[in-house]
Amino acid sequence: MKILIVEDEKTLSDSIVEYLEIEGGHLCEAVYNYDNAVEKIELYEYDCIVVDINLPDGSGLDIIRLIKNKSKTMGIIIISGRDSIEDRIEGLEIGADNYLTKPFHLAELNAHLRSINRRINFNGNNKIVFNEIEIIPDEHRAFVHNKELKLTRKEFEVLLFFISNKNKVITKIGLAEHLWGDFMDASDSFDFIYTHIKNLRKKLLKEGCKDYIQTVYGVGYKFHVP
Amino acid sequence: MKLLTKTNLNFLTISLFIFMFGVAAFYYLLRSQVNQNINYELEKRKNSIIQQFDSSYPSNKEPVNPNEQIIVTPYYSGSSSALSFSDTILYDNETQRYIPYRKLGFVTNFNNQDYYVQIFKSLEETDMLIARIFLITTVLIILMIVILLFLNRITSRSVWNAFYETIDKLNKYDINSQSDLNLNQTEVKEFDDLNRVLIKMTNKIKEDYINLKEYTENSSHELQNPLAIINAKMELLLQSGNLTEKQYQAVVASYEASNRLSRLNKTLLLLAKIENRQFPESENIDPQVKIDFQLEYFEDLVTSKKINVKKEYNNPAPIKMNPFLSEILFSNLIKNAIRHNFEGGDLNIVFEDDVLTISNTGPKLRIEPESIFRRFNKSSNSPDSLGLGLAIVKKICDIYGFTPEYSFENGYHKFRISFKSA
Repeated sequence: MKILIVEDEKTLSDSIVEYLEIEGGHLCEAVYNYDNAVEKIELYEYDCIVVDINLPDGSGLDIIRLIKNKSKTMGIIIISGRDSIEDRIEGLEIGADNYLTKPFHLAELNAHLRSINRRINFNGNNKIVFNEIEIIPDEHRAFVHNKELKLTRKEFEVLLFFISNKNKVITKIGLAEHLWGDFMDASDSFDFIYTHIKNLRKKLLKEGCKDYIQTVYGVGYKFHVP
Repeated sequence: MKLLTKTNLNFLTISLFIFMFGVAAFYYLLRSQVNQNINYELEKRKNSIIQQFDSSYPSNKEPVNPNEQIIVTPYYSGSSSALSFSDTILYDNETQRYIPYRKLGFVTNFNNQDYYVQIFKSLEETDMLIARIFLITTVLIILMIVILLFLNRITSRSVWNAFYETIDKLNKYDINSQSDLNLNQTEVKEFDDLNRVLIKMTNKIKEDYINLKEYTENSSHELQNPLAIINAKMELLLQSGNLTEKQYQAVVASYEASNRLSRLNKTLLLLAKIENRQFPESENIDPQVKIDFQLEYFEDLVTSKKINVKKEYNNPAPIKMNPFLSEILFSNLIKNAIRHNFEGGDLNIVFEDDVLTISNTGPKLRIEPESIFRRFNKSSNSPDSLGLGLAIVKKICDIYGFTPEYSFENGYHKFRISFKSA
């Protein structure tokens, strides 16, 4: 997937690029201001754009409006330090797919990009096939060796999040915020994250799935693919 | 006390004093004038009587008025009869009552014999006259005071009108609104001064307020960026497989701390926004829908702690408030009741009319119950909680005039919120 990252904080931009390229398959380009972003959009085609609203020489919202005039399908993720509902609503109204408030988890951003990728390149109806696991995201169904798993909603979301972030260490906080958002304080959720993962793992193993989910002691989990 | 009432009361008290003293003074002045008059008449009669005595008696010159009594007694030196004007009363046979008289006593000589002569002048008519004059003036003065009071009231009202207008506008002034305070030019210099000072003051306050708002917004944005960088770098660091156990732990600790910091920043900003009343929109909220939604949201938390939830809705009244704030309010209350609960404890939610009571089992507080709504007042059994949840609850209640109460009864922490705005 071809991704353009428009973020004036170069360090943050670098981190995003680095994280997205661990797995490969993405082609990331980064620009650090409004003018360069507009130039890139005029010249090249992208599958997705990750854009900060507050840029030194313009507003990310204007970039989004520009994109919407040009292409309807490009995925748009806003990353912004502003957390007000008005900003959020405005961003989503003019056509952004997601609105992430800084600071966000890279795993979260990656999961959103994966979802956009599925929407653009497979019309959203695709199955995610990974070895013996098969997931139909829109129908919230998962299969192992073609046998359907009976997963709760949270367990399904955990599995999808893991598959979107293969081979990466997923922190407990990142997972908790993905599942429950900001309202839940992370420490409260650690206990039942453990429960959800234990159950998910049990269900996967029961159907003969390999044990991909590793516990990274004190940190979180990793969907390990050798 | 209203200003008009106050000035009128002052006016009334002062005029009452003046009236009382004035009436007394008037009475004595009148009295002395009349007495002088009578004295003069008596003096004239004395002279004529002395003349009569001097000339052959009886004389035809000036007959003595039979109505005007005269008493002549022989006078011996040493007798202590009054030799001047005095007041006295005499019995009148005709009307059978005592009548006040003015009396002049003097000594005169006739045929080598001293006589003590007393002449009298009835005060009945003059007294009546004085009473009438006195009555008429009193009535006139009272009438005048009443009229003055009335006129004073009318003029004051029109003069103070500008002042009341200013107060009214100040009352309705909302610092969140775009418009400036608009006070009209008045005809009174003092009020114009007051209005000018008020406009200057509110403009300054508004400017400061906007600066503060911008500062919080900016600081939010500026803090989020470095926090985002720290978090991203930490997350990347965790991905590199060649860290030692110790390094991992250090990175995780820092990662968690920076996450906590960003959560703290967001929450404090939320508090500031609530304080700044930046959530002006309001609609009618169905509390039952909101509470059920929150309970569903916290379902995992409830199940993992095996908490028994009991709900009771008794014709809950809709609440008029901002929908986002209502979510935060219920979310914080319910989260609080779950977090500070025992494993397998109780959580009872009762919404009756417009009173919400949330009670939960839980360890006894180590802080004073009064300070439970204060910031950063937290019990130590949840080290990761920020201690801001109930402060936010209080803040939201404050801006809508709801009253939150806390009590600890029979092992239950009880939060009671009355949604009847004060």
